[in-house]
Amino acid sequence: MTSLFKKPAFIVFCLLAIAGAGCWVYQLMNGLGVTGMNNSNSWGLYITMFMLFVGLSAGGLIVASSAHVFHIEPFKKVAVPAVIVSLVCICCAGIFVLVDLGGIARVWRIVTGPNLASPLLWDIVVITTYLVINVLDLVWLVKGDHRKVEVLSRVALPVAILVHSVTAWIFGLQIAKAWYSAIMAPIFVASACDSGLALLLVSLMILDKVGLFKLEDGLMQSLAGLLACFIAVDAFFIGCECLTMAYPGAHEAQALGIMVGGVTAPFFWVEILLGLLVPFCVLVFAKNRKNRKLVTVASVLVILGVFCKRVWLLFTSFVVPNVLGGPGITTGNSAALADPTATWTAYGAYAPTAPEIVIAVGVVSLGVAAAMALCHKLLGKADSQPAAAAQAEPAAA
Amino acid sequence: MTKLALAIDKRRCIGCHTCANACKMQNNVPMGMPWNRVITEGCEVMDGAVGTYPNLTRSYLPLACQHCENAACERVCPTGATYKDEMGRVEIDYDKCIGCRMCMAACPYNARVFNWNEPTRDPDFNYGDSRVPVRPKGVAEKCTLCKERTDEGEAPMCVVCCPTRARIFGDLDDPQSQISQAIKAHNGYVLLEDYGTKPQVHYFN
Repeated sequence: MTSLFKKPAFIVFCLLAIAGAGCWVYQLMNGLGVTGMNNSNSWGLYITMFMLFVGLSAGGLIVASSAHVFHIEPFKKVAVPAVIVSLVCICCAGIFVLVDLGGIARVWRIVTGPNLASPLLWDIVVITTYLVINVLDLVWLVKGDHRKVEVLSRVALPVAILVHSVTAWIFGLQIAKAWYSAIMAPIFVASACDSGLALLLVSLMILDKVGLFKLEDGLMQSLAGLLACFIAVDAFFIGCECLTMAYPGAHEAQALGIMVGGVTAPFFWVEILLGLLVPFCVLVFAKNRKNRKLVTVASVLVILGVFCKRVWLLFTSFVVPNVLGGPGITTGNSAALADPTATWTAYGAYAPTAPEIVIAVGVVSLGVAAAMALCHKLLGKADSQPAAAAQAEPAAA
Repeated sequence: MTKLALAIDKRRCIGCHTCANACKMQNNVPMGMPWNRVITEGCEVMDGAVGTYPNLTRSYLPLACQHCENAACERVCPTGATYKDEMGRVEIDYDKCIGCRMCMAACPYNARVFNWNEPTRDPDFNYGDSRVPVRPKGVAEKCTLCKERTDEGEAPMCVVCCPTRARIFGDLDDPQSQISQAIKAHNGYVLLEDYGTKPQVHYFN
């Protein structure tokens, strides 16, 4: 651990996390008014990042547990780093929900008086379960307790699918918004699979660079191939949803118009072109999958694309209120208090503020720092561990 | 059963915003977050008009919580802070609200406002009815159908103060009530009926 504090990157991430914590205290003191959120657009960057990180968490655990459920021997080698990535991401997702709460002091009310009909309650339950599974999986993997990992993986795989579905239902079950669609859960699972696997690939590349993990070429190629499949499935679901929205030329076409040509259009097209099309075209060729640089670039693009997807998915629905009329909706935020002419808005609008961005960067940095620490502790000594060594040996051979 | 509700006669509404201000004064509503607003239909600005000169029309739509029978906000609230009470009103228990804003995303009518900041009032004191609880920052709030008044058999303040008597308050479950009779006689309708939220606030032309 001591050597970790000599790494400049680790120090930087720790400092960013501290800055984020400072801004969070500022937000606690002054209220969510310090963010760009308002009555017309009541969810912002935090919920975007929450969706992203729940998804990023998937890849790791899905790869690790399917390796054990379906006995895919080569994938078992990446189980430890995969579960570390998954664990860290789900913690970040949880933190993003907590920083988004206006009344965190009353959060215990969820335990004392839960409303079983609320998708947010389901999400809290399933994320907690998922977190426990991740911790147990990691502990047993490191201990080399194979039997327990095998059994746990059979639970972990469906829970991993469920955690993304339930997150989708927070949005997909809202009749008032364009999110209301049965394909929301499949879309979330698909983008969780591709972004999560992409993050895993990027993490493995980095671990390989710093010498904590040996990423074999064969393994990298098969993971990259799998990523290409996941991208295709994701693109297919998005295509299905867009066609269903567009075809009747009715109510939903309005939301589609905002997505493809309105305020959220840049995010939509970045996702379609840079997040799906380009990485798919790169990874679909076996020759490219052998090139580490190309695989890394494609993976980064997939993560960027899924981030953009979270943005257009969330914000498109907030733009046009269902009941339109002048002067519209009151924003109720700090800007309105400072300038009374900013009180009303006919359409939903949002832009993150500096404290909001610092908090988001802080949470991500905390995650990166935690991942570094965990990898350092668990992978560094992996060679001396009997189970991990047994897994690592064929890799070296 | 009692199902308290409002019916709004749009022919009588002159867009004076008295209901919005009466609501604000009664309920100690902070600056910039009215529970009740009067919007000009089909326009982006207040008091605009629809059509091409000289064929112009203008209509007002007073809009607040619709006190839905099948309330989307109640369904999604993780702590049960939003609830449907025995009088058929949608109410909020501010002590239970964790500020997650699921309800705000769920409400099809944008009826809810959030205490993004420490609520400010101008003049700087609690001007509302002393029976109305003061809300802290970080909770959602909205029209309560003047819970404190209607609990004691009084009409909501917006109904009392409307200068054109455009608003009718009463019990939808009583077929003989003025509100039930008015909705029936004038073919009353509800907003966004397709969503199936079954609003109890009715409008008629």
